[in-house]
Amino acid sequence: MTKKTTRRNLVTGIAASPYELWAVVFILVPLAFVAYYAFTDNSFRFTTANITRFFTATSSVAGEDGAGREVRTYLLISWRSLKLAAISTVVCLLLGYPLAYIISRASPKAQKTMMTLIMIPMWMNFLIRTYAWMTILQDTGILNNFLAGLHLGRVHIIGTETAVVIGMVYDYLPYMILPLYSIMAKMDHRLIEAARDLGCAPVGVLRRVILPLSMPGVVNGVTMVLIPSISTFYISQKLGDGMFFLLGDAIEGQYTANNLHFAAAIAFILMVALLAAMAVMRHLTSKYTYGGAAA
Amino acid sequence: MKRASKIFTALMFVFLFAPIAILLLFSFNEARSLSVFSGFSLKWYRELFRDTETLKTVRNTLVLAVCAAGVSTVMGTAAAVGIHRMRSKYLRSALDMVTNIPMINPDIITGISMMLMFVFASRLFGFAASLSFITLLIAHITFCLPYVILQVLPRLRQMDKSLPEAAMDLGCTPWKAFWKVELPEIMPAIVTGMIMAFTLSLDDFVISYFTTGTGFQTLPIRIYNMTKKTVTPDMYALATLIFFVILALLLLSNLTDSEDSQKLRAARRAKRAAAGKPPADPRKQRILYACGGSLALVAVAAAIVFAVTETDNKPQVLNVYNWGEYISDGSEGSMDVVKEFERWYQEEYGRPVQVNYTTFASNEDMYAKLSSGAVRYDVVIPSDYMIARMIEEDMLLPLDFDNIPNYQYISDDFHGLYYDPDDAYSVPYAYGIVGVIYNANAVDEADASGWDLMWNEKYAGQILQFNNSRDAFGTAMYRAGMDVNTTDRSLWQSALDDLLAQRPLVKSYVMDEVYNMMESGEGAVAAYYAGDYFTMLDAQADTVDLRFYYPDPTNFYIDAMCVPSCCQNKQLAEIFINYMLSQEPAIANAEYTWYASPNTLVYENQDYIDEMGEDAMAILYPGWDDFAAQYNTYAYRNLDGELLDYINSLWETLKIN
Repeated sequence: MTKKTTRRNLVTGIAASPYELWAVVFILVPLAFVAYYAFTDNSFRFTTANITRFFTATSSVAGEDGAGREVRTYLLISWRSLKLAAISTVVCLLLGYPLAYIISRASPKAQKTMMTLIMIPMWMNFLIRTYAWMTILQDTGILNNFLAGLHLGRVHIIGTETAVVIGMVYDYLPYMILPLYSIMAKMDHRLIEAARDLGCAPVGVLRRVILPLSMPGVVNGVTMVLIPSISTFYISQKLGDGMFFLLGDAIEGQYTANNLHFAAAIAFILMVALLAAMAVMRHLTSKYTYGGAAA
Repeated sequence: MKRASKIFTALMFVFLFAPIAILLLFSFNEARSLSVFSGFSLKWYRELFRDTETLKTVRNTLVLAVCAAGVSTVMGTAAAVGIHRMRSKYLRSALDMVTNIPMINPDIITGISMMLMFVFASRLFGFAASLSFITLLIAHITFCLPYVILQVLPRLRQMDKSLPEAAMDLGCTPWKAFWKVELPEIMPAIVTGMIMAFTLSLDDFVISYFTTGTGFQTLPIRIYNMTKKTVTPDMYALATLIFFVILALLLLSNLTDSEDSQKLRAARRAKRAAAGKPPADPRKQRILYACGGSLALVAVAAAIVFAVTETDNKPQVLNVYNWGEYISDGSEGSMDVVKEFERWYQEEYGRPVQVNYTTFASNEDMYAKLSSGAVRYDVVIPSDYMIARMIEEDMLLPLDFDNIPNYQYISDDFHGLYYDPDDAYSVPYAYGIVGVIYNANAVDEADASGWDLMWNEKYAGQILQFNNSRDAFGTAMYRAGMDVNTTDRSLWQSALDDLLAQRPLVKSYVMDEVYNMMESGEGAVAAYYAGDYFTMLDAQADTVDLRFYYPDPTNFYIDAMCVPSCCQNKQLAEIFINYMLSQEPAIANAEYTWYASPNTLVYENQDYIDEMGEDAMAILYPGWDDFAAQYNTYAYRNLDGELLDYINSLWETLKIN
């Protein structure tokens, strides 16, 4: 057995090598380019000015009372982006988790059908889907006409945080459901029944059995939703009436203003922060993701 | 509980399919609008099937997605297995981190950094025009890989480790243990990963934009570049068709699964049992099907790639790079200028020519592509300030006007303009003037003059302002009588103050969304280009009455045809430019885009004048006393990097307020 296991480890060790090579050439090298741009000025001399600018640049913002106050421009933008992305991720999790669970308990045929139905909207172009949401949410849009038809009054959604969150949730929900579903479909449902039989309350079953078992899916789902939503600019532009200025907008604006070095610096900082956050998250949940409870 | 979960599931699917229903509805719209439904029509479906350029991009997108999904699934699954078995915890978490990087990086940065790398590599190894289908494929595989790995890896971790070991103890070779025990266990995750990779590849536009080469454009890029006139309903028609094709496939697979194949399988099982053989392992069959399916997909992809490269091997190729929605493309019975040029060239010179026509979304995007040096374009159509910059940086070639005799028809007004003072590098294609568009049902006629309408508090919450710094600052600066190209920072600062004062009145900062908002009456006042006003007028809702006027002073822009220094066949490029100036195509383009033409063959032509109508002619060609002087005073010029950076920081201040 030992001999076989060794051979097996050798074989599977080689399995990852094409990817390792690929990752070095096509992930790390471009990353080096980002870092190189982030730490150089327009004539490619070394500088940390781009990085310090991110943390120190200030703008004057009118407060509630109309008086101006100084804020750190990019820290404020980062905070707002993070807030919207976090809200969207939580909403995705709250909607996606029960749905993934329901689907995973359905008959195999129904599972297949429902998962395909969840994927279908993603095959329509994302720009076009966002446009369709504009048509729905506008003040003169489908939703308001529908509500007015029922004499329920009108709601102003477009241009608000709600609209941006709806757009993000809509676009990224499948990224939450897919990893959750693929874990839950594999979950041993006898464990849940056993817990119930042994007198565990539904909340306890969820907290002590289902949640720990599905934790790897939660971690992946959160990662897959949080990350794209933090750097998006298209959704906030179209559904936010151009009133939201997020990190994605800042990077795009710097690029358009012919300032690739500062754009790279913003991206570099964002990347370091997210990698750090994920390292912490993986560490905290490692007992679930690395074997442990999931066996 | 049961009922609650049913209701919840139903509501979720309503949420997921609401926009699809909208797409479906508006694909049957009579008008060009995506917000006002004016009547049932099938014309966008007809347009779609006639639009060979769009269909070509659909094909490109599918080829790319199949290839990218196939490669990244195989490589990603192998990687996940390898990572899972890795004994060094340190190496494993390092690889985990690296895997996350492509997901974390904003698309635009991934796109640009990969472009920089490809360009660098090609210079190192001495390839010219390195950006191609291959670089695009590499980029797609790279951003698809993490999604596959992140699907497969948790599934592996969830699997009982003793299973493969038990298999080996019972005499399986490691390879067989993987094939018979592990692979079936992780198959659902692999399939999900592959579908995700396919979907992501299908939908990506930013990374594709920067890594694609001359002439290979995907559908998302084409849609994203439709910034001049917003997305057309034939794209909705396309989405609707895709939807029904997928739905049909789904139903079909479910139907066959439920009846015939089940019966067949039962029969086969019975036969095997009768012959005393053990029943076939359904897992093994599934894997066989999956392998067969992917092989078939790869074969189809290879065939298509072969077909693509085949057509690209024609002797003469002309690569044209233009704004999206900026040439008459044969829709609604118009002239298909590109196709007509190919036909005309064959007749005239007796040799075939193939035009690769691709689009860009902004001057800056086009500049980034050209300055990378990794593309080959023969004709580009940038705007004035960008032309000035490109001339300064030696990115354009002086034209040989012997090959462009039709240049004589360009109006004298367009000679000696600031961006090309000696008329050596550019031939004007179209021009536009910014005016104010307003809904007369919401705005008092008495208020409708000058830039002040955009600052009028009566219309708070109905005003639309440009969502780009230069144009937004422009409105404030024209209003205050400032020079829009001033280097005096205090003037820019005071323009910012005006914009800050305007911000509470602004409903929305818009670019091409302006069409939908003005057509539906969502906004009542907006500054935009004269030609675009007519596009909106065509689609306005019954409750909306759009009108237009020029504030004074206002912005002028000119887009002109140029030959970039990477051009491979300058004479052919000049022949194309000359063709674009000849009467029939020039009129077709002017009628299609609704922008004003600098070509006397167009605006002095009676048919064109009749077609446009008196009102449109009066707006498009207002007859400026001294166009050149006005233009040189009020048009945007190329500003230096530091000033642009400063303006951008002011713009950020406005946007975060």
